[in-house]
Amino acid sequence: MGFKLDNFTESLKSGIKYLPITAKLTLVAIIIGLIIGLFIAILRYYKIPVISHILTVLITIYQGLPIMVALLIYNLLFSYYIGPFIDFFHLNIDVNKVNNIIVAYFALSLAAITTMSETFRGALNSIEKTQFEAGYSVGLTKFQTFKRIILPQVIPVAIPGLINNLVGVIKGTSFVMAIGVLEVTNASLIPCFKTFSYVEGYLAAAIIYWFFTIILEVILSTIEKKYSKKSIKSEVIYV
Amino acid sequence: MIEIKNVKKNFGKNEVLKDVSLKVNKGDVVVLLGPSGSGKTTLLRCINFLEQADEGILTIDGQTVNLHKASSKEKLQIRKKTAFVFQNYGLFQNKTALQNITEGLITARKVPTKEAIKKAEEVLAWVGMLDKKNYYPSQLSGGQQQRIGIARAVALDPDVILFDEPTSALDPELVGEILTLIRNVAKKGITMIVVTHEMSFAQEVASKVVFMADGVVIESGTPKEIFYTPKEERTKKFLERILPQDDYYI
Repeated sequence: MGFKLDNFTESLKSGIKYLPITAKLTLVAIIIGLIIGLFIAILRYYKIPVISHILTVLITIYQGLPIMVALLIYNLLFSYYIGPFIDFFHLNIDVNKVNNIIVAYFALSLAAITTMSETFRGALNSIEKTQFEAGYSVGLTKFQTFKRIILPQVIPVAIPGLINNLVGVIKGTSFVMAIGVLEVTNASLIPCFKTFSYVEGYLAAAIIYWFFTIILEVILSTIEKKYSKKSIKSEVIYV
Repeated sequence: MIEIKNVKKNFGKNEVLKDVSLKVNKGDVVVLLGPSGSGKTTLLRCINFLEQADEGILTIDGQTVNLHKASSKEKLQIRKKTAFVFQNYGLFQNKTALQNITEGLITARKVPTKEAIKKAEEVLAWVGMLDKKNYYPSQLSGGQQQRIGIARAVALDPDVILFDEPTSALDPELVGEILTLIRNVAKKGITMIVVTHEMSFAQEVASKVVFMADGVVIESGTPKEIFYTPKEERTKKFLERILPQDDYYI
């Protein structure tokens, strides 16, 4: 089982061609995760009756569910019910043409929501109570206090955790091959079906993920630095 | 004039305020004294709705609200008539010294930006912090932060400023300068309610001293009355522990 550079580059090319799919899967999941995750974190932080309890239970349960298992369950449900669903609503769609990438979006978004809401909640908890009280005491409303005082302090605290969540989602996209969606991992293996050069195929996939993640992390940590400059925490200048 | 009537507050089974009433005239400096856990701070926080009282009526500037079930609109109105100085400064960490002061003016009171900045610079100059106006709180010492906290309260031009132990988080060296600053606030004729453990400050600045213990007002009067001729046994005991013996026996 020798390492063949030709097969490796072949796999690399094939994988890179599908990088946009992986990127899109990640992006959609992250954006949904950021918005709904923040929203859930806020509901739980302000202890909105009933809703916050339900969310706590749901998130605790969902956190124990591996992405792979979730994907397989959703895919099964999807393939069972997509036909009846289309019939029921009389949609003009051919069942055989419905792409199950929608299952991938769904599963990854849910995973992103749970992890990111926890990151936001942790960041919210790190803000001193006095910051809220100071806002109220000068006459700001609850919403103004949150938007103008709390959120700008939450974001710099949350960013390292969110970057971590993002990397988790990128890695999570590779599970999507289990339900037959063509993305980086799956595509890198396409040439291997003929040549049986699986080592090269997996290695190619690994390298693509590696670069993708590193590039994103570099970009995001520059943003992080820019953000944390605004509220200098560590640097103390007594004058 | 500010009037607080029959304020009650429980934290779980712990009765922190048992029927407290207080009258503050315009321009008065009322000092709340008492041992820890007597409910002084809670009373102050109830006035500003940072804590919701279980019962009680508050009248400020002709507006009367129920402390237990004020609507959020009423709360906002009352908060705009009051200002709060926090024990641990409570400056907005994401805003500069100047922005800390303009925030309540521009966002809450809809003062035009230019006017708000002018006002903020005025009070910053008054507390001697104008040269630090673009510093973030984390770049300032405790004393400097509290100066800005006081400047923020003064800039809002409230009917009453509530001071919650404004010097107890400061190191002893800085206490003096902040007390001097608060004295100057008093000289401006602003109504103040001050919770403090600084006895000499209370004697000198207060127009009325209120002694509280175990959630009730034990007695109140001028500093002279409270410090030199206390009527209640509880007050005498408290002062005995805090003041040098012959300070209040005649």
